[in-house]
Amino acid sequence: MTGEEIIAKVKSSLPDAIQDTALPHGDAVVFVAPDCLQKLAAFLKDDPSLKFDYLSDVSGVDYLIEEREPRFEAVYLLYSIDHSHSIRVRVGIDEENPSVPTVSEIWKGALYPEQELFDMFGFHIAGHPKMERLIMPKEWVGHPLRKDYPLTTEPITFSYNRDFKSELVKSKSPNQE
Amino acid sequence: MGLIEDAAERLGDEVSNLKLNVKDAVEAMQYEYSGALYDAVLTTKLGKVVGWAQKNALWPATFGLACCAIEMMAMANSRWDAARFGAEVFRASPRQADLMIVSGRVSQKMAPILKQIYDQMPEPKWVMSMGACASCGGIFNNYSIVQGVDRVVPVDVYVPGCPPGPEALLYGLIKLQEKIMAEAGTDKAKKRVA
Amino acid sequence: MSVTEQGLLERDKDTMTLNMGPQHPSTHGVFRVILEMDGEVVKTAEPEIGYLHTGIEKNSENKRYLHVIPMTDRLDYLNPPGNNLAFCLATEKLLGVEIPPRAQALRVIMCELARIASHLVWLGTHALDIGAMTVFLYCWREREMILDLNEEISGVRMMTSYIRVGGVAKDATRRWLDGICDFIDYFPAKVDEYGALLTKNPIWMDRTQGIGVFSKEEAINWSLSGPALRASGVNWDIRKSRPYSGYEKYDFEVPIHDGGDIYDRYRVRVEEMRQSLEIIDQAVRDLPAGDYKTPDNKVSLPPRETLHTSMEALIHHFKLVSEGISVPKGETYVPIEGPRGEVGFYIVSDGTNVPYRVKLRAPSFMAIPGMCQMMTGCYIADVVGIIGSIDIVMGEVDR
Repeated sequence: MTGEEIIAKVKSSLPDAIQDTALPHGDAVVFVAPDCLQKLAAFLKDDPSLKFDYLSDVSGVDYLIEEREPRFEAVYLLYSIDHSHSIRVRVGIDEENPSVPTVSEIWKGALYPEQELFDMFGFHIAGHPKMERLIMPKEWVGHPLRKDYPLTTEPITFSYNRDFKSELVKSKSPNQE
Repeated sequence: MGLIEDAAERLGDEVSNLKLNVKDAVEAMQYEYSGALYDAVLTTKLGKVVGWAQKNALWPATFGLACCAIEMMAMANSRWDAARFGAEVFRASPRQADLMIVSGRVSQKMAPILKQIYDQMPEPKWVMSMGACASCGGIFNNYSIVQGVDRVVPVDVYVPGCPPGPEALLYGLIKLQEKIMAEAGTDKAKKRVA
Repeated sequence: MSVTEQGLLERDKDTMTLNMGPQHPSTHGVFRVILEMDGEVVKTAEPEIGYLHTGIEKNSENKRYLHVIPMTDRLDYLNPPGNNLAFCLATEKLLGVEIPPRAQALRVIMCELARIASHLVWLGTHALDIGAMTVFLYCWREREMILDLNEEISGVRMMTSYIRVGGVAKDATRRWLDGICDFIDYFPAKVDEYGALLTKNPIWMDRTQGIGVFSKEEAINWSLSGPALRASGVNWDIRKSRPYSGYEKYDFEVPIHDGGDIYDRYRVRVEEMRQSLEIIDQAVRDLPAGDYKTPDNKVSLPPRETLHTSMEALIHHFKLVSEGISVPKGETYVPIEGPRGEVGFYIVSDGTNVPYRVKLRAPSFMAIPGMCQMMTGCYIADVVGIIGSIDIVMGEVDR
């Protein structure tokens, strides 16, 4: 199916769940609210003419600088192996209560990228079996991929205390052990 | 038997005893003297010999972090052949290794583990910082990368490059060998095992 | 403890937790997995990643498009041209630039060479993990030839940064093309040699057949990709299903096996090396003449000699060097088929010369939960085999 056909099909089947659609560069994109995500996901996977059985990736975007409402967005990239077509599902997520339901019951492959969303953006993934940090150390503070998180270096977590260089480092960061 | 003969015999015994004592004393003196000689000459030479042995049998730990680890593996292979310099025995356990090649970027999460692995290595031990990321953070000046592994462990040789070719790494290895040989027998070498 | 009928002491069922990694020679980098063992059998495998987190995605948001390309090299460091290509294709899609056929062919050659080099590293280390040391040395011997070709065309052995937005960095040299022709003549016999060492080797077959089995449905559901997916019998290759960079012009097969075990993943990758060689052969033989980068001076630098005569070229040169490429507002995702599977960049642009968000779809990262699913119920000795068969690269797992 082409992008237009996919969008028409999804729109006609779930008219109240879809907020908006777009066709940038020929890719089918649908916008959906977080509370309708699981319904849409189940439909996309089970409908025989769509059959999006392969979850390629889940990305998060922070639109802080763009000043868009809602601030966050989770983007789900889906394929159908049999029909060889694709769709992008964009879910706007509120800044006050960044929460999105899990789709890991529908596609097992979503387990890790969703956990990464929690780690890097601080989204609460409702229903996810393991809501803890994935990539950053467990005791890390902040969510690095948010736009208001600074890029610059953190004070180092460890220093070698016999070397003069670490003495310099120590004197620079007195709050470290 | 007359008294005179008796006295002469006793005197003879006394003299021979005295002779033996003198001999012992001289031998003891000689022994002492040779010990002093041992201290003065042989120990420094032994240090050199030990250094020579150490530099030609560096056992690196298999501690691949990132891209540079691939070039480190290339160095061990037949074309570049680190065995020419005696450094081809990669040890999976840090307890058997005396050279740590930090091959790649060190993240904040990895730094304590790197330090632990370094502490597990027996002394004397050396560290090579391979590549720009390990030496200074490289192009990744951000929240997650330790800006130079020398903030965590003391580094002996820095090899620049991104990633450095095997020939650069071998040059670094030769420089490390020169360093070990220059330090051999000095207080610096003693400190390494202290 | 309790006493059995034979009078033997029977231990109560309890499990042992075994830590593997992050410093372990068989985890291909700094992967850590915590295994819960019941005797020799793995009950659960809990992966722990992030030891190589480099912050590349965050860093890319603060660099211009051209400056992001060297960062993409260091994501999947066994497949630098593939990452360059995925990033450039996504940027070009937003820009709407046409790429000349010669540049497309050069990109294909570089990517397929990288695929062979990556599979050689995989085969060598995977065989070494399972206990066949000889293959390791042979594979690296051939890999050095590809690295020499990389050095010839881009000046570096590994991190080529050869593929740029709008084309490639330099035109192909005669020596490079001759070197590739020599390699095409030389390499097939070497693949046979690896096959002779492993394919019918009873130890190899015992260690790989029927281990780490994933069915077709499981492989799709757990988002495996690339050779691991095709070894489970799924006919899915981005080069065929959504061709990019002129792959539709080449005649090649996608090797598929349906066993879904380590052995089939091995067979798929070895056959892939032969097919890659086919593609390189066709691309070199019919290398189109013409430009090696787009003539659009808003994207690629104008030729050096025109700077002295053309004011327009001078302005373009100045703008490109001082400001970089400005990409129109929008978001896009472009996948390519890398050696480990689908590599893709999701790029959001806000209309400036710096990308707003860069997200890598990393095949190794997506494969890790599935890999740990495979480990449950197998023996401890097979864990290294399974890790090797998925061919993870920690650079792109942790990013």
